[in-house]
Amino acid sequence: MATQVYRKSKLRRALIWGDVRKRRLGMLAYVLNRITGHGLVLYLYLHLVILSMLAGGPSSWDPFIALAKSPAFLVLDVILIAGWLIHGLNGLRVTLTGLGIGVRSQKAMFVGLMTIAVIGIAAMALAVFSKG
Amino acid sequence: MDNRFERQPAPSWGWFWQAVTGVGLIVLLALHMIAHHFVVPEGLRNFDEVVEYLRTPIIVVLEFLFLATVTPHALLGVRAFVFDFGLSERAERRVDRILTVLGVLTIAYGIWLTWTITQWKS
Repeated sequence: MATQVYRKSKLRRALIWGDVRKRRLGMLAYVLNRITGHGLVLYLYLHLVILSMLAGGPSSWDPFIALAKSPAFLVLDVILIAGWLIHGLNGLRVTLTGLGIGVRSQKAMFVGLMTIAVIGIAAMALAVFSKG
Repeated sequence: MDNRFERQPAPSWGWFWQAVTGVGLIVLLALHMIAHHFVVPEGLRNFDEVVEYLRTPIIVVLEFLFLATVTPHALLGVRAFVFDFGLSERAERRVDRILTVLGVLTIAYGIWLTWTITQWKS
């Protein structure tokens, strides 16, 4: 019984960061960093699996390239870019505040960096779809 | 009774290396995206273009640096998440070993794949 409660508590403790109700901006930034981080780890290994098609030569790779230029794939590209910019810029804030830089202005820094991220996502989305 | 929830957080070397690799990734990932997508006329390279691209020595160095930076950054993130479950020290050491092996295999796979592509004869 005690073990069951302990296990349940461990799970709750590990997942409690995902509960964004009544959280302040700092916690929301932390949750955002974790969610984008998980997504990017998943993408990294998915990307490596897809790249394995290159080992099969042009007959394996070139048909995939035609598919990868479809609008659905381009939307996935934009989602990837969004995850990269949000995680990268938010991670930069985490690193700076972790080093004691800009701790008092971290909320303003978060808003500023996320504004840059939104502008970057829009610009890169335009670049992706103009080439697709 | 040992209350594992009251233990000190995991050693900060994980945070330190994740921060170092993270800062490196801002530059390397930007170069990776530009070199792979934004300078290519149609957005993506066909097979012959990939082979030609990977036969450029500086590109191989850049791609290796990218893989050798992104892999530890990603796996240190997984480590931080898994450690939040409040594992025992023994379990934490096991997770460290598993993630180290996974990281080495990931980088080795990247090197093998690059080598295989550059050796392709059409």
